Amino acid sequence: MTNLDSNGPTKQRLAWNQIVTLYRYELRSALRERAIVINSILIPIFLYPLIMWVAFSGIMLVKWHSDSTQSRVVVQDWPREHPELRNRITREKRITLIEETNRFDPREISAARLDALVLFEPASGSASNLPGNFQVGITFDSSKDRSVAARERLESVINDYRREWLAREARKREISPEEWAGIHIDSKNVATKRQMGGFVLGMMLPILFVVMVAAGTFYPAIDCTAGERERNTWETLMSSGASRVNVIVAKYLYVTTFGTMAGILNLLAFAVTLKPIFAPLLKEAGTMLNFTVLPQSIPLIATGAVLLAGFVSAGMMIFAAFARTFKEGQAMIMPFYLIVMLPPIFLQTPGIQFSVPLSCVPVVNVTMMIRSALTGEFPMLQIAITFVASVLAIALCIRIAAYILKFEEVMIGNYNGSLKRFLRERFLAKPGRSMKGAHD
Amino acid sequence: MTEFSVRVQDLRKIYYEEGRGEVRAVDGISFECRPGEIFGLLGANGAGKTTTLRMLATILKPTSGAAYVLQHEVTKEPEAVRRNLGFYSATTALYPRLTARETLDFFARINGYPADRVRERVEKLIARFGITEYANARVDRLSQGMKQKVSIARTVVHDPPVLIFDEPTVGLDVLNALEMQKVIAEFRAEGKAILFSTHIMSEAEKLCDRIAIVHRGRIHACDTFENLRAASGKRYLEDIFVHFIERANEAVALEKPSA
Repeated sequence: MTNLDSNGPTKQRLAWNQIVTLYRYELRSALRERAIVINSILIPIFLYPLIMWVAFSGIMLVKWHSDSTQSRVVVQDWPREHPELRNRITREKRITLIEETNRFDPREISAARLDALVLFEPASGSASNLPGNFQVGITFDSSKDRSVAARERLESVINDYRREWLAREARKREISPEEWAGIHIDSKNVATKRQMGGFVLGMMLPILFVVMVAAGTFYPAIDCTAGERERNTWETLMSSGASRVNVIVAKYLYVTTFGTMAGILNLLAFAVTLKPIFAPLLKEAGTMLNFTVLPQSIPLIATGAVLLAGFVSAGMMIFAAFARTFKEGQAMIMPFYLIVMLPPIFLQTPGIQFSVPLSCVPVVNVTMMIRSALTGEFPMLQIAITFVASVLAIALCIRIAAYILKFEEVMIGNYNGSLKRFLRERFLAKPGRSMKGAHD
Repeated sequence: MTEFSVRVQDLRKIYYEEGRGEVRAVDGISFECRPGEIFGLLGANGAGKTTTLRMLATILKPTSGAAYVLQHEVTKEPEAVRRNLGFYSATTALYPRLTARETLDFFARINGYPADRVRERVEKLIARFGITEYANARVDRLSQGMKQKVSIARTVVHDPPVLIFDEPTVGLDVLNALEMQKVIAEFRAEGKAILFSTHIMSEAEKLCDRIAIVHRGRIHACDTFENLRAASGKRYLEDIFVHFIERANEAVALEKPSA
């Protein structure tokens, strides 16, 4: 058997005028494709801000609905020494007292005909030394929102009354309320409105940013590889005077451009729409937040977009290189897409820091860097490591993609398999059964 | 200056295919093609015509042997080879989202046609092939006949000295097929070396200056139509083709017992 892999590719130089021509026409062609325009431009601009608006409006609506719902409460054995407590519970507009005629049956709560039962009893043990002291039992169903709300409302009214009553009792015994209360906690938030706004942005935006960049590269990566094969334009390009390496570089730059564009457009859309959307929804809390992004954060965020898009594009092109049809491309890229989505989910872990080890992990490092930039923090060492690690990861992915595309069957779209099969054949195949060599 | 525009020497393409084992798609093919000549590769489906032409177009890499386009060897100078040839086949479609004019502009540029003359060249071809009316329409909105014209213009937009037409009339109606034949004959008159593969006898008979009969990856006869007639003693190309194929099969049958 002839050694089919004996001839390696000859070294090729990058011809930038050729790359620019290829890139320009790839972009022009892509901007006329509805699916690409929708996924890489329109969705980042409109959909996610819209989704956020709808989600927050929905949450507010549910909250309003929940607040306006009446809690149906049965009270047993009102404490005689505390008529004021009875008045207060009666005056609470969101609580409806149900007159109890017979002994209460807890199944009424489980069946959602009642929301809570309040049972007042005399204090027991040493607590009974305080005249007029009592204890309260609240029966509710924690699996029912309405019942939980009833408990919270009752607790709120009773706690307020309890605090005031204790203060009065303390005064009677010539003890000041401060002494009675003991340890006093006074929290002071030193964060500025902008820092608070940056914190909120930092929690939300990196995830959406990764989602957007990945979505922005998804269609272009398939379109310029499997899509071309499906449309039979791949061979037209391969038989042209352009060198293979220039074609690959141009396609990579094109995919990266769309990923970067999707990420940046999404951030811009958010920056513009956040305040008008969130301020009215958050009411008083909204006035505590300032969503302005620092000018010095913008270049770092833009760099992050390029690095992330560069990595995701290279990764997607490795997977898409094996696809012969758009459908195959979607199926092959999806695992990588999901893997890319994972790191930002871990970023939701409370207290996670932009540490040196994290700045070495692709995707995680860029999302952490963007989060830092949004909160106005610029840890230079981590940022430098992020940059170097991302560039290395991109270079590695491009090298892998170039290695894969050296093989004739993959390059011309005749390979019937995925990355997994390719790796198995390359590294576990019997001699003489390896894949065909490649052209440049 | 080289005498031949295309020279192929003992070209082979062997690969392993699951379920079929070793496949000798092309098994030692040699031929030449001169400027102003249409060289036909005539063979049934799977004979090795397309694989040969794809190796010449540097899409596939030969397992062994050599092939030259002008003075450029296909494995050593693939880009130079591609810049000097135009490749047309059923699998070289046009970009659907570009217009006809953009398509020609794009392929002229990436094939290295001088940038300052691209516009002039594109306009000339648009006029020559009667594309003017729909030059600014996207390719995916064109009819089959219109696409064919744009595709031919795309093949020659960088004015290559060598043209490869791999079964160019497959899927075309009679009128479009005749138009294609007419255009190919015009290119010959302009001095281009043309490699033309087909399994349609009448096309080969009508167009080709020399015909190579390809079967199982080998050329079993290669000459002018008149000389093939004389060698086979048959009148029609169809009979000539069958004559040489049968002879090849007999030779294989004789080789087998001794092997």
